[in-house]
Amino acid sequence: MCLAIPMRVAAIEDQMATIESQGLTQRVSLLLVPDARVGDYVLVHAGCAIAVLGEQEATETLDLLREVLAFEDREEAGEFEDHGDS
Amino acid sequence: MGTPEHSKPGGPEEVRRLADALRQVSAGRRLTFMEVCGTHTMAISRYGLRQLLPQGIRLVSGPGCPVCVTAMRDLDTVVALARLPEVTLATFGDLVRVPSSSSTLAAERAQGADVRVVYSPFDAVELAATRPDRQVVFAGIGFETTAPAVAAAILDGARRELTNFSVLSLHKTMPAPLRALLDLGETAIDGFILPGHVSVITGSLAFDFLAREYGVGGVVAGFEPADVLAALVRLAAQREPAVAIEYTRAVRPEGNTLAREVMSQVFEPSDAEWRGLGTIPGSGLVLAPAFRQFAAEERFSVDPGPSREPRGCRCGEVLRGLIDPPVCGLFGKRCTPEQPIGACMVSSEGACAAYYRYRDIGE
Repeated sequence: MCLAIPMRVAAIEDQMATIESQGLTQRVSLLLVPDARVGDYVLVHAGCAIAVLGEQEATETLDLLREVLAFEDREEAGEFEDHGDS
Repeated sequence: MGTPEHSKPGGPEEVRRLADALRQVSAGRRLTFMEVCGTHTMAISRYGLRQLLPQGIRLVSGPGCPVCVTAMRDLDTVVALARLPEVTLATFGDLVRVPSSSSTLAAERAQGADVRVVYSPFDAVELAATRPDRQVVFAGIGFETTAPAVAAAILDGARRELTNFSVLSLHKTMPAPLRALLDLGETAIDGFILPGHVSVITGSLAFDFLAREYGVGGVVAGFEPADVLAALVRLAAQREPAVAIEYTRAVRPEGNTLAREVMSQVFEPSDAEWRGLGTIPGSGLVLAPAFRQFAAEERFSVDPGPSREPRGCRCGEVLRGLIDPPVCGLFGKRCTPEQPIGACMVSSEGACAAYYRYRDIGE
């Protein structure tokens, strides 16, 4: 619910940023972080950027997020299926 | 580049090193730490962090999952709104399967109600703009992380002069339930793992009262295994209770002041009912007088009738950190993520769901 994801600002128009992440683009409000610039990494939650991150900090978090996502993919593929009773 | 995968910051080597450090600083003491953020609940179970802890350290979940702490009466109101024929009810996916007294939004949708899952409150504004024939109601839940985004969406709706957009604000603020828990005094808590993304907005200063007034420390943590362990090391090492930030990548002591201004422009504090904790004065957010025309509870008069808690469900005690989920008689038997009875089993961030999904082992 409170998950927020670092994304890179590709363009800004009227306090709305076009954001790219993992090959997808989306529009995000910059109302809460008006100082964000093109090229910055911002933390995005519920359609709003809520913080500006340093690049190194953002990419570290992204690396870890990718690991989590890869884990979830494998999990969904049933690799970690646990058939025991808990 | 050039750094081996396992020794990267946050990698397995660091996790092991932090687990060793925790063993040293805790030195066999019995300590109970509480996390109050659903994303932490999920991370702790997912990464199996409990299995890495020294014996004396116990982690309990508090009231940190927005869906879980939403009172039954409020869930009943959401369902009653969805049943109105003119209403398109938009909300986050987490809310759709949560049982109210007699139904769920998913069940209502199956029976013809217009229920939409949106990723952002701006999607609901957009929906209202494109469907002037429908009354779009956004059921807003979430803490300080989410409330500013909803406030920003309401400002957007106001700017576009939308008369078919409204919000049922079930938003809550986080410091208040921690105070309530400590006042109750029924859970012995030696420190809090404080919520990372709530603190992006509130800042760590909003939690200073924990140390100052209650003598309980807290560390604002990020969401990677190394973040959580590093926070635990810092909590266990505290000689004097203090509130500190481990998640320095995103959190500043003062938080996001502008986001809080936007939030208090659109919302005002109200008393709110929390599952498990009862009514906490000033812990909710309702629309401020200048934005009252966007308040769904005023636009539509719905009477959800008397609410009923599911029999045998111990969600309230789980949310106060009094029992671990498997202690509940329904856990894993009649109550599973596929057939949830209580809210804590529905949301993926609920303590029961996290325990069940990852077959987490307590102490």
